[in-house]
Amino acid sequence: MAQNIFCSAKIDKEDLMDSEKLKKMNRRAFLKGTATAAIAGGAAVTTGCKGKGLLGSSEAFALEFQEYFKNHYRLMTQKERENTVSRLERLARLRQHIDLDIDTTGPSDAVLYGYAFNVTRCEGFMECVQACVKENNLDRKSNTQYIRIFEMEHGQMSPDQGNGKYFHMVPRQGHFYMGVQCFQCDNPPCVKACPTKATWKEPDGIVVVDYDWCIGCRYCMAACPYWGRRFNWNQPEIPKAEITRKQHYLGNRQRVRGMMEKCTFCIQRTRKGKLPACAEACPTGARVFGNLLDPDSEIRFVLENKKVYRLKEDLGTEPKFWYFID
Amino acid sequence: MQKKTIEKNLISFIRDTLLWNLSGSIGYQIYLCILVCLMLTGVYGYVVQFKLGLSATNMSNIVSWGFYISNFTFLVGVAAAAVMLILPSYIFNDKDLHKVVIIGEVVAVGSLVMCMTFVFVDLGRPLQFWHLVPGIGQLNFPSSLLSWDILVLNGYLALNALVPAYIVFCHYQGKEPVGKYYKPFIFLSIGWAVAIHMVTAFLYQGLPARPFWNNPLMGPRFLASAFAAGPAIISLVLHVVNSTTDYKIDNKIFNKLRIIIVSAAVINLLMLFSEIFKEFYFPTHHSQSAMYLFFGLEGHNSLVPWIWTAISINVLGTLMLAFNPFRERQVFLMPALVLLIVGIWIEKGIGLIVPGLVPSPMGEIISYSPSNVELFITIGVVGLGMFVVTILLKPALIIEKKYEDMVGPHQ
Amino acid sequence: MKKPITIKKAFYPVLFCLVLGLFIFFYPLTAFSGESGLLPRIKNATQKIEQKHQFEASIPTLKQIVQVNMKDQGGTFFTQARKSEISRFKCSTCHNNKPVTSDNAARISHADIQVVHGNKETLLTCNTCHSDADRDFLKAGEQTKIDFDHVYDMCGQCHFRQKKDWIGGAHGKRVTYWAGERVVKNCTSCHNPHSPRFEKQWPKTYSVPLK
Repeated sequence: MAQNIFCSAKIDKEDLMDSEKLKKMNRRAFLKGTATAAIAGGAAVTTGCKGKGLLGSSEAFALEFQEYFKNHYRLMTQKERENTVSRLERLARLRQHIDLDIDTTGPSDAVLYGYAFNVTRCEGFMECVQACVKENNLDRKSNTQYIRIFEMEHGQMSPDQGNGKYFHMVPRQGHFYMGVQCFQCDNPPCVKACPTKATWKEPDGIVVVDYDWCIGCRYCMAACPYWGRRFNWNQPEIPKAEITRKQHYLGNRQRVRGMMEKCTFCIQRTRKGKLPACAEACPTGARVFGNLLDPDSEIRFVLENKKVYRLKEDLGTEPKFWYFID
Repeated sequence: MQKKTIEKNLISFIRDTLLWNLSGSIGYQIYLCILVCLMLTGVYGYVVQFKLGLSATNMSNIVSWGFYISNFTFLVGVAAAAVMLILPSYIFNDKDLHKVVIIGEVVAVGSLVMCMTFVFVDLGRPLQFWHLVPGIGQLNFPSSLLSWDILVLNGYLALNALVPAYIVFCHYQGKEPVGKYYKPFIFLSIGWAVAIHMVTAFLYQGLPARPFWNNPLMGPRFLASAFAAGPAIISLVLHVVNSTTDYKIDNKIFNKLRIIIVSAAVINLLMLFSEIFKEFYFPTHHSQSAMYLFFGLEGHNSLVPWIWTAISINVLGTLMLAFNPFRERQVFLMPALVLLIVGIWIEKGIGLIVPGLVPSPMGEIISYSPSNVELFITIGVVGLGMFVVTILLKPALIIEKKYEDMVGPHQ
Repeated sequence: MKKPITIKKAFYPVLFCLVLGLFIFFYPLTAFSGESGLLPRIKNATQKIEQKHQFEASIPTLKQIVQVNMKDQGGTFFTQARKSEISRFKCSTCHNNKPVTSDNAARISHADIQVVHGNKETLLTCNTCHSDADRDFLKAGEQTKIDFDHVYDMCGQCHFRQKKDWIGGAHGKRVTYWAGERVVKNCTSCHNPHSPRFEKQWPKTYSVPLK
């Protein structure tokens, strides 16, 4: 694998230019051609922007150079996607000495993911938060967490009245717990706000981010009514032993500083039929996940038989995350 | 005399511009050195920020936009205010203001350069800015207000840089600029100036997630405060020009500007009152942001002295300019302008951006104040703006003066 | 002299027709007031998904499962077998015809079992659930035997609401996969049958106060 990648790294450039000529995208081809022939001076700066990238080996340098100029994920051909995945895997091998498996599985037909949260059953254990941090390679240095659990007093409904920073034995008398994360809205305001189309809603309902396309303007973060998005203010640090190797290009692959990220319903797991890490980890079974378009699914049972509500429904964002009580 | 023998073309224009910029009194040289020092401070700050990432600032997942975007918001208004000089001089053919239009446009260019630099330093990955360029990247037009903002700001920069450049170049060559070439663009820039500031206001106004911003008054309010603070800054620049160069500016011009500023400032205060009424007459959950701004929430009250000071000096400045107790003596007019500018800068900058983001959509409250890195970079960007204004204005005024001497005073 | 008058006469009718024309032109915009969005889409998705097994190729068959003796909304489903998890099963290795002579036998040999289940009104003792006649089974009344793997029938006698929810999917948890054959956790996979309530504990992690 390593040898192939090394060779294909060089062949890549020609492949790229050939396929570009074939596609007759003149302007892009011209720019890409000039770009790949650009002088090392510009390249040195781009390596700097990749975070930890000091010059290192020339192979890693060449790979990062090509990574800088790659296209938006949605516009990539299958070949380009395979190329970028192999570049990323090779870079991980060179820089961090780990072997990754980056996936690019697309959405399945007739699948629309939905989530339900049982407010009666959540006891505030935060096992979901920890599982999410581990599964999604979240930055340990800034304690980034996609999920936030609020301790609420009885009589309140909205998490803004709750306390997200509790740390004591749970469950506490007279309180209940509810968790929030990105709700994968069906009418997402963040998608509308992004100036580069770096975030979009996939056909199976997950709102994803093409991390390398994001320029870090944080407009989506201002637009999200549920505090669902996170920004990498610093270079993420994850202990090498804890890095999840099975990754998805749009999911839990390792991000660099300056990019937005968010919960993706564990796209690397759910597109393979597995539950997201939070649903898997919950010891009380407070989290229900499934396919909204399957009339026999558990999530549909919850929606049809339980008293469900969504947060801030009046904003018209159509989140696909419901809360219910037993 | 000289122009009859020496040919004036683009190359000599550039050469002369450079020479004019570098020559001058000792005071001017010191001033340029100070500006360069300010810019170097900014460069140092940016190097630190580039190394550490945006964690070098005090922004966080809750206050995701801070000092940079506050200054950006204020400066877009200043840029839009050039229209307040262009409108009277071209539509109403006001001869007095026609003389200072060039200065207004140069200030607009300077503030636009500052705006774009602020956005650039605020980006998490500025080297990927080409992702925005339609053609090689993806621009989410017309959905994203930021894409609109990018287009209108760049368009306005082009309008405000190229049209005066053409006029000044013609004057440099001793020729009268051809009306039909540039007049359509002048008229375009009048509507465009209003557009840039409305679009910037819509950036905030269009977010239902932020109830402090999601009100229809943002756009008009932005325009009112821009047309108060912008001409005030232009007035200050005119004072400086009047006192340090031989390009004399008549008192009538200051008075006309004063009237424009006062009208806009009064409308701004009216709109402010309307917002305060809405937030505090029957406070709802959505008024939390205003509570945080004016009174503090849960012990977080760092913005409270700032906003009250801002509103007070805003009112004081407006009153001083309106009632003109010192009968147009510039030495008393200037402090009033400074008070107004600082008041609007605080209220429209940090007093708008941070409360919009606090409390977070999940109700969490933190305090924000700019870190040292942010201050250094801001100083650098302000220095850059002043530098741009200086290097554009000095040769422009020299050329204009020479042209005026040549053709006689404007009829 | 005539011309101005005729124009004036025709002016208002023309204006009226124009406004009426605009009104008719904009009428089609009323088409937008209909229902659209996520919830209608979900409600209309009533077609059974044929390829429930669309992911089956990648999902390994889970061992130690039994088929539940009731159907859920989609047909048959499975739950985790429990007998393999009980370390001292089969109970009949000890509980055969040998008589129990010691006084505190239950407390000594089953010292790890604390019964914190039920309350003063509904007092639960060992014999409420465990069959005297055949220790390898639970009992429902005196006649019915319930296998340990089908313990949901036991619990469901009192906790019938939770059982209904469990069959539907609102209670309990699926095992690892949301797709493929439905395999859910059994009652005793999560709840200790002798003290089913979850204990208080410290949260696994904490959320930082943001700066």
